[in-house]
This record gives sequence, structure tokens and C-alpha cells, in this order.
Amino acid sequence: MTDLFEGYELDRAFDEMFGRESDPRAPYAALHETLRLLTNEEFAERCATRDRSFRDQGITFSLSGEERPFPLDLVPRVIAADEWALIERGVAQRVRALEMFLADVYGAGEVFEARIIPRRLVYSSSHFHREAVGVNPPNGVRVHVSGIDLIRDEHGTFRVLEDNLRTPSGISYVVENRRAMSQVFPELFASHRVLPVATYPARLLEALRAAAPGGVDDPTVVVLTPGMYNAAYFEHSFLARQMGVELVEGRDLVCRNNIVRMRTTTGERRVHVIYRRLDDEFLDPVQFRADSALGVAGLLNAARAGEVTIANAVGNGVADDKLVYSYVPDLIRYYLGEEPILPNVHTYRLGEDEVREDVLKRLDQLVLKPVDASGGYGLVIGPQATDEELANLREGIIANPREWIAQDVVQLSTSPTHADGKFQPRHIDLRPFAVNDGQRVWVVPGGLTRVALPKGSLVVNSSQGGGSKDTWVLADPLATSLQPDRPPAPPSMLSEQALLFDAAPPDPGPMDGMGQQQQQQQQAGS
Amino acid sequence: MAWRLEVHHSTTYRYTGQVQESYNEARLTPVTGHRQTVLSSSLEVTPRVTPYRYADAFGTTVHSFDLHQPHDHLTVMGHSVTETSAPMPILNQLGWKDLRSDRAKERYFEFLTLTRLVDLDESMRAVCEQASALDDPTEAAIAVFGLVRKELTYVPGATAVSTTASDAFNAGNGVCQDFVHVSLALLRSMGIPARYVSGYVHNRPDALLGESVRGESHAWVDVWTGDWWGYDPTGDVAVGERHVVIATGRDYKDVTPIKGVYAGAALDKLEVSVELIRRA
Repeated sequence: MTDLFEGYELDRAFDEMFGRESDPRAPYAALHETLRLLTNEEFAERCATRDRSFRDQGITFSLSGEERPFPLDLVPRVIAADEWALIERGVAQRVRALEMFLADVYGAGEVFEARIIPRRLVYSSSHFHREAVGVNPPNGVRVHVSGIDLIRDEHGTFRVLEDNLRTPSGISYVVENRRAMSQVFPELFASHRVLPVATYPARLLEALRAAAPGGVDDPTVVVLTPGMYNAAYFEHSFLARQMGVELVEGRDLVCRNNIVRMRTTTGERRVHVIYRRLDDEFLDPVQFRADSALGVAGLLNAARAGEVTIANAVGNGVADDKLVYSYVPDLIRYYLGEEPILPNVHTYRLGEDEVREDVLKRLDQLVLKPVDASGGYGLVIGPQATDEELANLREGIIANPREWIAQDVVQLSTSPTHADGKFQPRHIDLRPFAVNDGQRVWVVPGGLTRVALPKGSLVVNSSQGGGSKDTWVLADPLATSLQPDRPPAPPSMLSEQALLFDAAPPDPGPMDGMGQQQQQQQQAGS
Repeated sequence: MAWRLEVHHSTTYRYTGQVQESYNEARLTPVTGHRQTVLSSSLEVTPRVTPYRYADAFGTTVHSFDLHQPHDHLTVMGHSVTETSAPMPILNQLGWKDLRSDRAKERYFEFLTLTRLVDLDESMRAVCEQASALDDPTEAAIAVFGLVRKELTYVPGATAVSTTASDAFNAGNGVCQDFVHVSLALLRSMGIPARYVSGYVHNRPDALLGESVRGESHAWVDVWTGDWWGYDPTGDVAVGERHVVIATGRDYKDVTPIKGVYAGAALDKLEVSVELIRRA
């Protein structure tokens, strides 16, 4: 009998499970042993259990309009307690610095006077919204939820690949993956002390309540969704249900004299905190796109007046602009007086003439990213690009150097992943989710491990066909008071929804009958 | 000599039927600055509302208000009394080297950057070649205003709020907004920081005290060559005691006097009147 690891080939990349000598690393020892003893048939049964588990929950996965089996790979990613401690500290440090940066950019602008980052770079970001100047959140928090994407390089060093400070999605996968895994491999949860992830919604609700306008003892929190046609709608309804709060659309809310209320069957009810999963551009037609029927007119000034809190805050995108990203280590030093715990990936700033000239000479060796996109959209991996793609890219960069960054190609770490009937190395990343309640930045132990399913692929985004893995953070063996994760109680029924972790660009949806019109007059002159 | 100017700016939107809901922001209130002092100001809206007031990113006073009772017209009136002073001498003039230093470029990035409305094409670039060859940036700026006067003819109604600088330049006519956008594009292309200013101008240098004069919402340019100084390219005059500043920004979009969204009947008629009275 051959085991499923037969023929597992290590290459240049750091492998999460196996060291150089092909021995499993210590945190993986027990997991490896269990998986090694599984026959093909037994593994197929586990897969069937997984598929049944998701189907029973009404969860399917839709990719480009096609329904597919849910792409959870059954080999979990394991993170030892000491490694996790580093990630946790590094992510929290980054979020604290970025909070201070946002407060500064939309406030005094001291970072410009100190010449840490050029004003022109921040002001030219498409996500810098002057409309947010003077909107001061009640407890100072702008980044209530963040997803800081990490990768592991050839040496096993965790590096930050990008920051997501607007509406990062994927947490519903984290919780649902764990639920399914506990049904598929109950014995592994008995033999491992895995830290729980199901507390996330409760922690989020706590942070949202803490962000309420001053003097409100029992704030009403809602989740604002663009609607059921949005790719991440499942997650929006999941979070609302798990937190026990209303899921609303823009048309359910009305703002009068800066007071926001939701329309309910029993009348109107005051709303204090809006966890919005809607992009800035669609949030308030008075300030942004006047044709947006998804938002709530008057919302931003309600926040400015301190009558409602918008989470995450408007304008956060300037801090996850990929060119600003290249300055984050400097921002950490400037605001916190600390050295960055998690290093960046080396990034080339194409606005600098010499750097650009050098990069243009070796586009085929680098990764090129649009500065303001997420979800892997527009990404070009030089070594895998066609000549035509590279030529277009070159033109794009020359026309608009501010719109692009270049990075060295990093061999993302690999993890055994089930493909073609056996375990094969596939590249993965990690998106830990952090929740800031104003007192501390809490990082959910685990996060979303995304896996690039095609052999050799470095693109993990689900919108580009990636899958995911359950992410296990092992309890510190020296700690005694920690509760390992138990198979969670069956969650309430979910309706049938499509599930996608990277929100596609929001669908503005059909206009309803509101017929919004703009009114403005010209300055005629004399 | 200082003037005291009383301004009443009234805007009425008449709709073809009922409007159910309306959300608006008004930029109609002067702010105290280095050349003017606001003695009093108020905003009056019919139907009656309680406006919320804040300062935007450029320091402009904004009143926001919303209506939820059906209405067939909306009137917004800005009233103010402002003390204004004569044109200031242009102090602290810098040479090209200082003006084009990284420090100045960084500080005034927003006012050196082209926008959708403040755009530039080859024909515009060509006309300012001579001006940018002048030794002194302040003289170059004044030369730009001369060029704009030469290239553009003032034609009321020739353009719209969305007309770009290059469109107006190529058409060869426009209103004050276009004179300003074209000036800004030329100045910024030469590396001279310049911003859009909206406000009012009293048309008579010899105005009698207490006499009411019809005016219009107006726009001009602030130029930075070491200090900010104002020039009115439409009237071809320095900005002085006859000008009341309301708002500054990168282009018209930052200073729009009234903007909003509403649900209901279409707009039928827009009535605008500006009344200026010299009080001292």
C-alpha cells in the first residue's frame, strides 16, 4: 500500500509540513501520521463527509457563475504557538501604526511635515477622500476590521504582502471551514489543541458596540450589504446572524438631520453603528457617486456630526494603497518608535525614474500590481506573462507610473494539498483577521489560508480560482488555561447562498425608482 | 481702502411637481481670511430646515441640510456682511528655482496637479511657452492672465459646469469658471501653484454707499509665488476690496455653491440672484 504522500516533491519553496530532509516538522507530526495512514478510499470518504457538511449548510461555491463543490482542501495548515505569537504581535503592530497614519492623514498631516511619506503620494491615491477630513470616530478607531495578507518566503520568514483595511472578506470561510473540519476529522481535534475561531462574531460585535457614539449605553448595530447579488453576500448574512443584528440594505436606512434610522415592520428604529460591506464610492450619494442607489444619502455627515459610526471608516483605502504599503515599515518606526515585527516584500516604487527604468528592463522577472486593486485583479506575474501582456504592461506603467508597483517574485510557501488522488505541494498565503475595539487589537487565531490550486501557481485569490484550508493555531503547550476548539454546536440554518471570499468589485445593481438627480449651478461670472 | 460689503445670494429650484426627499450641501458662507473679515453671515432655507455646519478639507464653511416634506420649490439664501481690503502688494516673491524645489512641489501638490476640469492640451502648452521663459514667476503668472484674456471671449451661457479647460480654450469663449480653469491649467503646467476661488465681485469701483447692485456668483484665481495673491482674469483686475471670498479648491467641483441629490419631480426652473450693497 502506498500512502497519499508518495512522490511528494519539495522544491525551492518553504514547505509548511516537511523540512529539508522530508521529515514532518514538529507541529505537523501527529497530523502527518494520521493522514499517512489513510487509504485513497478512506480519504475519499472524508471528502464526501466534507461535501455533505457544506451542502447540508446550504453552502455552495460559485466561480464565474458556475456552482462548484466547496474548495476546502482537507489538509489543514498548522501554526505552532511561538510562530503565531509573532504573527499576532506583528499584525497588531501594523494595525496600530496604520490607525495612527489614517488619523494623521485625515487630520494634522504631521507625517508629511516630518517627511516620512510624500503628501503627493497620499493625495494622489484614488482612495484618499477629502470628504473624510474632519470625520473623527468616537473611540478613535477607523480600522475596526482588517485582513493583513501574509506569505512565507523561501526561508520560512513571514512577510506582509498587502494590507486590507476597507472591507476585507473571508472570515465566514474561516468559521465554516472549522465547522466542516470538525465533522470530517473529529479525531484530529481530540489529539490537537487548536485555538477556537468561532468567537470572532462576538469579538466583532463587542468592537462595533465600543465604537458607538458617546453617551449611547445600548447601541444598535447593523450590517449594511450591497445586496444578495454581491459576491460576499453570504458572509454579510452570516455575520449579521452570528452577531444577532439586522442585515440591511441602503434602502432600509434613512438619514434625517444626521440621525440614521432603519425601517422595520414595527416602525423606525435608531441605528448607532453601521458595519458596512459597501465601498466608499457607493456609500453616500451626496458625497460620492450621486447615482448610487446602494447607499444612504446623508450618511457621511451623520458620522461627521458624531450621530452614527461607520465601520470601517470612510477613506481607509488610502492606507492599503500598494504604494503606501511600501512605506509602512517607516510608518511603524515613526508612529510607534518600534522596528517592524513582520517585514514587507521588497517593493519597487515606479514613480522614481531610476527605479522605473530598471524595472522596465526586467518586467519578465517581477510581479506587477495595480496600486488600488484587491482580489488579485490586474496582477501580472512577469515570468508567466506573454510578450503581449508584458508589452501592454509596459505601456500602462509609462503612461501611469503612480498606478503600479513592482515586487520581486516570492516563492510562496507550499502545503500538501489533495490533487489528482494524492497530496502535492501547492502555494499558500495567510490572511489573519484583526479586530480593533479601541483598547486592543485582537487577531483571530488562524485566519484564512488560501491555496493556489493549479500546480506552480502563485495566485491564491478565490476570485482567481483559489481554494482554502482550515488554519490551526496550536495552543501553547506551556499554557494550561486555554480551551482547545471543540466541534462547535450546529449553527442555525443557512439559506442557500453562493460563497466567495474575495468580494468582486461591487455591483451597483439596478437603480430603484428613486430617480436621484443632481442639482448644481454654474458660476456664470460677470 | 477697506470696503464693507453686504451680499444676498438667493437660489431657487422650481420643480415640475412634488419632491419628496432632498439632501444638499451649500457653500455660500464667507470665511475670515487674510484679506477679509466676516462681520455676519447666515443661511436661510425654504422650506425651513436646521442646517448642520462644518468646515471642509479646504477650510470652506459648508451647510448641509435635508428635506423630507413634499415641496415644489427649494430656496437657499446666503446672507453676509464682510469687510474686505484693497489688493495686497505681492510680497516674498520667489524665483523659479525655489518655486520648482521639491519642498514647494510637495507643499502645494494639490494646486500643481491637473484635474478632469483643469486639463491641458498641446495647443495650450504652446501658448504659454513664452510666458514660462520669463525670468520671474510672478511676471509669468501675470503674462498667463494676459494670454487668457486674449484667447478667451466672455460669452454668457457658452459653457456648462462640466466644461473642461481645454474645451473652453479651443472653443475660445466661456464664463468666469472657464477663465479660471484655463488660467489654472496654464499656471500649474508651468509649475506655479494656483487654486480656484469662488465668491462675489462688486462691479462698480465707484459704488455708492447703500446702493443695491445686481451681481453674480463669481470665480477667480489665487496664485502662489512665495505668498498667495489673487487675480480676477475675467474682470482683468487684481483681487481687492470689491471681492468677497467664499471657497477655495482645486477646481469648480471643490467649491460648488449648492449640490445635492433629491427624489421626485424633475427640475423645471432655476432662479439665481445676487445682490451686493456697499455699506462702507
